[in-house]
Amino acid sequence: MKRLIAMGLLLALVLVGVGTTQAQPTRIIVYSALPDLETTMVNREFTRRTGISVEALSVAAAGTIAARIRAEKDKPRADIFTGGSRDFHIPLAREGLLLAYKSPAFAEAKVSPVYIDPNGFWHGWYLGALAIIINTDRWDREMVPRRVPKPATWDDFLRPEFRGHFIMPSPITTGGGYIFVAAQIFRLGEDRAWAYLRALNANASQFTPTAPGTITLLARGEGIVGMQWAHEGIGARLAGMQPLETIVPPDTGFEVGAVSIIKGGPNPEGAKAYVDFLASRTPQDINAKFGYRYPVRADVPVPMGATRFEDLKFVKYDLAWSIENMTRVRERWTREIGR
Amino acid sequence: MVAESVAVIRWGEVRRQAGDPGVALAFIGAALMLGLFVLYPAFRVLVYPALQDYLDIPKSVRWMQAARNSMVMMVISTLTATLSGLIFAFAVTRPDVPGRRFFRNIAVLPIFAPPFMVAFAYILMFGRQGLITKTVLGLDANIFGWHGLWLVQTVAFFPLAMLIIIGVLEGINPSMEHAARNLGADEWAVVRTISLALARPGIAGAALVVAISVLADFGNAVVIAGGFPLLATEAWFRMEGLADLKGAALVVAMLIVPTTCLFLLERYWVSRRVYTTVTGRGSRVERPPTHPVLKWGTFLFCVLMSLMVGLVYFGVVAGSLTAVWGRDWTLSLTHWRLAMDRIPTLWASVKIGAMAGIITGVVGVAVAFLTSRRLPLRHVLDFLAVLPGALPGVFIGVGFVLAFNRPPVELVGTPWILALALAFWHLPMGYQAAVATLKQVERSIEEAATNLGASGMRVLWDIYVPLLRPAFLGAFTVSFIRSVTNVSIVVFLVTPGNIVATFAILNMIGNGIWGGAAALTTMLLLITFASVGMAQAVVGRTMRSTPMG
Repeated sequence: MKRLIAMGLLLALVLVGVGTTQAQPTRIIVYSALPDLETTMVNREFTRRTGISVEALSVAAAGTIAARIRAEKDKPRADIFTGGSRDFHIPLAREGLLLAYKSPAFAEAKVSPVYIDPNGFWHGWYLGALAIIINTDRWDREMVPRRVPKPATWDDFLRPEFRGHFIMPSPITTGGGYIFVAAQIFRLGEDRAWAYLRALNANASQFTPTAPGTITLLARGEGIVGMQWAHEGIGARLAGMQPLETIVPPDTGFEVGAVSIIKGGPNPEGAKAYVDFLASRTPQDINAKFGYRYPVRADVPVPMGATRFEDLKFVKYDLAWSIENMTRVRERWTREIGR
Repeated sequence: MVAESVAVIRWGEVRRQAGDPGVALAFIGAALMLGLFVLYPAFRVLVYPALQDYLDIPKSVRWMQAARNSMVMMVISTLTATLSGLIFAFAVTRPDVPGRRFFRNIAVLPIFAPPFMVAFAYILMFGRQGLITKTVLGLDANIFGWHGLWLVQTVAFFPLAMLIIIGVLEGINPSMEHAARNLGADEWAVVRTISLALARPGIAGAALVVAISVLADFGNAVVIAGGFPLLATEAWFRMEGLADLKGAALVVAMLIVPTTCLFLLERYWVSRRVYTTVTGRGSRVERPPTHPVLKWGTFLFCVLMSLMVGLVYFGVVAGSLTAVWGRDWTLSLTHWRLAMDRIPTLWASVKIGAMAGIITGVVGVAVAFLTSRRLPLRHVLDFLAVLPGALPGVFIGVGFVLAFNRPPVELVGTPWILALALAFWHLPMGYQAAVATLKQVERSIEEAATNLGASGMRVLWDIYVPLLRPAFLGAFTVSFIRSVTNVSIVVFLVTPGNIVATFAILNMIGNGIWGGAAALTTMLLLITFASVGMAQAVVGRTMRSTPMG
């Protein structure tokens, strides 16, 4: 009897291990910087259309995924890096970690070449703009009686009334946080930008490790004002009675949400099919409807409640500079802001 | 520990044991396995940075700040958690404090909770939208930051202190108290000179175990500490945010210095002293009644702490059932529907937890058996088996990534890397439980078998295996629970095919899906309780507390 129990346990141990490690040729592995909901819906549609199944790891911070891809460069585990600003894809391409592929589907869909890497290392498939987010509940209760005007520019974040009530995503782990910091540098010049950021730090209650984390805390009233992607704010308000207002200020930063193929991944053919698929209407529509992100296809309707992308006023964003200086800027942030 | 029972090595027996091919092979196998899964990853972490990188640590403002913060949190959280544990243990071991059985049961509840659960529930309770702070009291309280973490760690770790101190208090012979009273000592003098004095090593041991846990706590810190840099979260930030493996290795190496010191202190100083009174346990004398002030004082304290623990579970369960926390209290099952999508992650947790539990049980029992043999180098084996108790989870996580992400032993991407990391991290618990059981086995049984010609393996199989079954099941259960609820290791090792529930929950919290996170946590708790219930039904006795890192 005891022998039987022991043998049974050993057998179970062996069986549990087997069956989980075999590779399937008709499967791709996706690292996604988009939330689970959009990732899952897009992937289901991909599997339905191509018969290729998808295993996805969704981590709501593009920096985390880029870090994983670097850590695994000797033996890449995934095929696709989707979501997250192209700012996170371009350095990976430079380090030789991405596979060049010029998707014919993107050309067919008449996606503006501005959103596609000329070398084919990444394809932009959605767009977003940074915005001021306000918790209107707390605003009405605490700021209206003090006659504080609603913030309309990035500089308004520095008002003394906001001390301890400002929240934004960390520039170390999130694309939005980094683009915001870069936008300040393009807007003010390097020295004034860091003075601005130090003053902002004095007002900040938190820098959240993921982008949606900021919205959650704002929606829950843990902060009054914050900085985040406009689509996150709109999404949270529409999704469920969240008291949020979204204002896109002038000199805002924007992202081109990209997809790229990881070089040396297990299934490059499946990965190419995935990139082609993202140029089609359905995934862009899913992302616009459920994530409120702007599609790159002109024939997909813009998300509810959003200003047209062309009508927003962007800072003169020097993409090459922002990529070139990413490590230096993040290190300076760590040194000077320290959180 | 085992070693102390045999003072002199008898070389004749060494030769006999070593000459037994089964035992010798098992010994070599166990040594290799411990070397591979305990020493090698630790070694890889420590040598990953260059010497100059270590020398540069004091220049990094952020790391020094993180180190300082970690030390401060360790001191204050350890103080409050140990004190709470002591008061609780005192109340629970008195015969006349009302509700003591209830208190004891409620106090162990945090041990079953995933490490971020206390923080998460307290944000729902005491945050700006908190049920208690805002809805009930109308306060505007910011719980994010060091003070929130302090509260959370106190509640999360006092049960650990309590369980250890209870063991010591129960060992104090009540007749000492009677004697003191007969000699005219008042109540306070009795408590001070007898209960507290004799419990001192237990309290110190509890404090050290709590301190190690606080230092290494990742789950609560990542959810509630806000912009407060700590060593445990900094390692994660370095690796997952900056792809800076070297930085992550440096930070966890910084963490290992204090934990190892605390661990060695606990093991070689506190646990060696014998404070048990002459007659020890088993005395039938009733404890004298407790002084009313002490009785009702501790009672009130226990009610308060039980409330704090209850709020953790209430917060999570209620959070999974209300439409929008803080705004719309309507009952709703939407979050549960959302969590249903993640049921595969629960299955993955159970699978990996079971694998880890089996490995911890088998290896723990086998190593305990081997270290009880009079073999040379068994001290080394003993040390290797308890060493993981000193290593923080983030250290193990980083170590396994560095050690097993490429040939010759390539495990990243398989469930095995998770199972093995978790199993060997929990090994000290399984091992020490098995050692304790083995000590109770009369050696003459074995000698009789040996004299009748049984080989070492035969002795193991026919005598020790049946006797060690409870130890195995105990080790399995502890390792299983802690693997299923672990965050600090899995956060580094999870891959697309093996997403476990705690990782999915942490992601949901990060994505702002708090209701769904609460629902998935509730499901995870149900599974953990069901598994423990089943294991207890099998073993038929309560689990013993074991220190954990």
